[in-house]
Amino acid sequence: MIATNLRLLIVSIFLGACFSSIFAQDLTGFDIMKLVDDAQRQSNDSSFNRMQLSSCKFGVTNGRITCADRPRVKSLESVAKNYGPELKDTKSVTVTLEPAAERGIGMLSYTYDETDRDNETWLYLSALGRVKRLASGDSDEETEPASLFGSEFTTEDTETGKLEEYTFNILEETTTAGREVWKVEMIPNEERAKKTRYSRQVHYVDKERHVVLRSEMYDQYEKEVKRLMASRVELVNDIWMSRSLTMMNLVTNRLSNMAFVEIYTDLDIEDEFLSQRTLTDAAYRETELEKLRAQLN
Amino acid sequence: MEKVLLKLTELFGKTPNVILNYKKQVLTGLVIISVFLFYGIFSLTVFDMSSDSFLEEENPAQVALDEFRRQFGGDDSVFIIYSPEDGDVFSRESLTAVQQLTDDLVNWRDLDRSEYPEIPWEELSHVRRIQSLANIRVQESIGDTLRSDRLIPRQIPTSEADLQELRTEALSQQDYVGAFYSEDGEYGAILVQTDFGTIPVEGYESVVDIAGIELDDGFANFDLTFDDNAVVQDVEFQDTDQLAYFSFDEALTAVYQKYSSELSFYPVGTPSMMGQMQGVLNQMAVLGTLMVLIFSLLLWVLFRSGSALVWPMVTIALSVAWCWGITVWMGITVSTMIALTVLLIFAVGIADCVHVMSAYFSFRRDGQEHYIALSHAYEKVSLAILLTTLTTSAGVSVLATSNLEPIKVFALMSALGVILAFFFTMVLLPVLLDLWHPTAVGSEENPSLADRLGAKWTSIKSKKKLIIAASTALLIFVSLGLLLGAFINFVIALTYWIINSQREILARVPAIVQRSPYLILAIFGSGFILCAYGATKILIDTNIAEMFRADHPLSIAVEVVDQNMSGAQNMEIMIDTGVTDGMLDSELLTAVDNLQTRVESRYPEIIGRTNSLANIVKDTNQVMNEDNPEFYRIPDSNQAISQLLFMFNSANPEDRRNLVSDDYSRSHISVTARNLGSYEYKELFDDISLDVQETFAEIETDFPSLDVNLTGTMATLMVMADEVATSQFNSFALALLIVSIIMVISLGSFRGGMMGMVPNAIPAFLAFGLMGLFGIPLDTDTLLIAPIILGIAVDDTIHFMTHYRVELSKTGSIAAALESAIKEVGQAVMFTTMVIGLGFAVLSFSDYLGMAKVGFFGSMAIFVALLCDLFLIPAMIIIFKPKFGVKNVDTKIDFQGVTV
Repeated sequence: MIATNLRLLIVSIFLGACFSSIFAQDLTGFDIMKLVDDAQRQSNDSSFNRMQLSSCKFGVTNGRITCADRPRVKSLESVAKNYGPELKDTKSVTVTLEPAAERGIGMLSYTYDETDRDNETWLYLSALGRVKRLASGDSDEETEPASLFGSEFTTEDTETGKLEEYTFNILEETTTAGREVWKVEMIPNEERAKKTRYSRQVHYVDKERHVVLRSEMYDQYEKEVKRLMASRVELVNDIWMSRSLTMMNLVTNRLSNMAFVEIYTDLDIEDEFLSQRTLTDAAYRETELEKLRAQLN
Repeated sequence: MEKVLLKLTELFGKTPNVILNYKKQVLTGLVIISVFLFYGIFSLTVFDMSSDSFLEEENPAQVALDEFRRQFGGDDSVFIIYSPEDGDVFSRESLTAVQQLTDDLVNWRDLDRSEYPEIPWEELSHVRRIQSLANIRVQESIGDTLRSDRLIPRQIPTSEADLQELRTEALSQQDYVGAFYSEDGEYGAILVQTDFGTIPVEGYESVVDIAGIELDDGFANFDLTFDDNAVVQDVEFQDTDQLAYFSFDEALTAVYQKYSSELSFYPVGTPSMMGQMQGVLNQMAVLGTLMVLIFSLLLWVLFRSGSALVWPMVTIALSVAWCWGITVWMGITVSTMIALTVLLIFAVGIADCVHVMSAYFSFRRDGQEHYIALSHAYEKVSLAILLTTLTTSAGVSVLATSNLEPIKVFALMSALGVILAFFFTMVLLPVLLDLWHPTAVGSEENPSLADRLGAKWTSIKSKKKLIIAASTALLIFVSLGLLLGAFINFVIALTYWIINSQREILARVPAIVQRSPYLILAIFGSGFILCAYGATKILIDTNIAEMFRADHPLSIAVEVVDQNMSGAQNMEIMIDTGVTDGMLDSELLTAVDNLQTRVESRYPEIIGRTNSLANIVKDTNQVMNEDNPEFYRIPDSNQAISQLLFMFNSANPEDRRNLVSDDYSRSHISVTARNLGSYEYKELFDDISLDVQETFAEIETDFPSLDVNLTGTMATLMVMADEVATSQFNSFALALLIVSIIMVISLGSFRGGMMGMVPNAIPAFLAFGLMGLFGIPLDTDTLLIAPIILGIAVDDTIHFMTHYRVELSKTGSIAAALESAIKEVGQAVMFTTMVIGLGFAVLSFSDYLGMAKVGFFGSMAIFVALLCDLFLIPAMIIIFKPKFGVKNVDTKIDFQGVTV
């Protein structure tokens, strides 16, 4: 699930270059997000990522936001592949490499597009040698957005889609970090409001490259509680994307940085790799990952 | 000294007529300044109604609490205990009701507002989380699946057998028994967590919003560095306004009261307590009005003149207004303690005015003309009023040594108010009395309304009088109960007696005292010793359950929670390991676990339950191992702990964040305790601190910078209350000392000054003594009033002693001076006692015991002070014959010839 989310995040926040400025002038807020959604489907290729997730307390030094204590760094590898008739379902595996105490912790997620089919998640704790399927029991529940590997990112920050549950407004056209942007406001409807921690989000979308450069998340009191800052915007596989996302929690003054150190797509991935065996069988996992790494070269 | 005092007396005698020469200018000046100050009151007054305002920002307890809130979120919750009508929390009806109520509280935005009374709906957005039997979950492992199901399914079973099964399962959940339902299943609880205390201050601007601030380049280069010296901005939290609690409580209550036919509710917790306090404040407004009415009525009855009612009230009202106005113009924030300041200004202002008017009316009755009577009256009482102003303002100023802002403001405002009351009595009252005064005091040809009413009562037959009196007394007993009824009846009878026979009484006093001065001294002496003994027994303790009468909803709720659940008070043991991942250490977690077991078993009567990261680790460990109870323990491997918590964190990031910091260096043990007084809290704090030290001593070498602290909103407030009360008690002693010194200096005699202090000390110690003897704890509210009692008691004594001293130097005869003091000052002292004593007595009816105690003991102290002035001082003068440095004093005393 996590790998899927990360992937969705990459694609969703950063609009593909193919939707170039030809359309741009007439886009509404909804149009922009619709394009994101389409881009997501089209680019749901088999992928392999190496990521670093760093978290720290932040402070200001010489006018720059920086870590005020030693960041906690987690190294992750994730593999994802799409399934289903229209390739709308996703299976993914994410494995922790570092820190040592969490090495080998794995998560297997099956995300289904159908609304009446529950997503499935298995968690493998290497120190205990056990796999557990996580089930929330009742599906009518208000679910709490889960933290991504203990970082300031939650599933809510990385999930997209379900556009019909939001209304969008383009607030203004302005510039941020020297680039022209649309400020798009995203407000959940009543149904969605029960599941979200944010009453409102504002995204700053780069007009030319269609990358979100900044997002602001507001709570029910209209206070900005979190802010996402994007940096290192690069063209990866014909898609403009930020390879360094920084989520600042403005209440706790902590931040998490998600760095996509390596990104590979269009790989040949064995179906069996996306099963519980990958979690529990370390030898099998290593063998399969070796095959993938070979493709990278 | 003597010459100075005589000179001053002379000067004061001239004051009224000098002021009357400039009547217009004085009035215009006062009106202009008053308008300016009134404008300030209405436009500049800033009320700080938060309870946090009583804690200094730098106070270690407050710092720890803020730190806790920053790290783990707010701890202000409402704990709604309910008991179903059918007596069974697990019956289908009860479960259905609680399920619906829980849904209502969670989805309050969807409720049909027309079904509810007018309430501030948006206040409910302070709700962070609702937990009840209807939505709590149990983790269990079925096959390879980790399930987290509701304890009570959404579809509540219909069969008795299924319900019985649910009941059995629920009662086997150790972490929930006592928290969400009682062991016997008769009581249940809904926990409403709020965001109070964790709302950032208004205008708080995050450092990231500063223009030009950017991310460090390291973020883009995949090369995250860190800088120890980077400035980290700490969030400051809003103090929670009592009114916010009240509105929240109002809205919450309306939502759950919809189910009052199925469930009876007993809410506890800060918001609902503050809600109740608002009710108390409303009641106080009523009682306050009643008190002013009694003040007015008595002034009118005692002086039998409308001007004697109106002018003191105007004088006092302006003193209050100026005091308030000056304070807010100085930009000072006022608190609800302003009510006490107003009370003090009333007491002191009335005493000042009554002394002036009593003298004025007495001179008028003796046939003196208005201007002459005025001048004589001021000559007679001004020195004493000045001295009482000095002693009272010095007495309350002592409280300014407190390090709590609201108490400091209270002390300075009160001192200012007392001085202003003196100022207005000297400057405004003569002008007012000149505008309107009785044309002929005591004249039979032109009687005042009060005189006519009095005459009517006198004309009623004795039998009829007796019937009216008896039925009134009975009515008071029936409506007020035995104790208070007796007290009020006593006060009324005393007033009646004094109105009718004041002159007789005063005339008889010297003879009574002369007959047996040693007996009187012995009676007062033994009373004093008893009270002093009682005062040593006094327990300084602030206890929520004892703040209200036993039948008050809040007292009942606290009782229900303590009897049936594991308590509702929260304490937190904050653990800072000082190292990243410190909380993932097996030995440390084992120590935490041991500490919990230790405090739970050592204080089973007080501590209901404890919860910490250790519980989560043990629980998850068992769940991950096929629910085998053998695994309900802390694993030996740090890696295993880390991974168990990884899993917990993925599923419940919010819960995890509430328990342990992001870098796993800090965590806390939540301790749920039954209601305690501040004194016991402090003891428990000390005991637990010792347990903490001993438990963590073993791992000290591994964690050299380990820091463990006790905190929590209620606990902090309680500990602070204890500190305040203790420092208050000490400052009261300082006030006594200062007042003594002023008396010694002003009376020009050490012996005389000390003698004057005895009748002051007796009323002051009386309240403390009785409370000590009857085991009534002395709380912060009662202690704040102590200087006021002292101030009022001292006032009368000073008037008495000053008059005696002046007369002594005039006549050179102790007998003559004493006789004059009793006759001249006696009446004024009796009148002030009546007015203030009866006024205070009204406060005894408050549901809020803090205020009721102030009223009851305050009025009792004032009456005892009167007895001291009339009997004890004369007895002491007769025995010790103080000469106050006056030479050639005739010490022969013979009052036996006094005729009534």
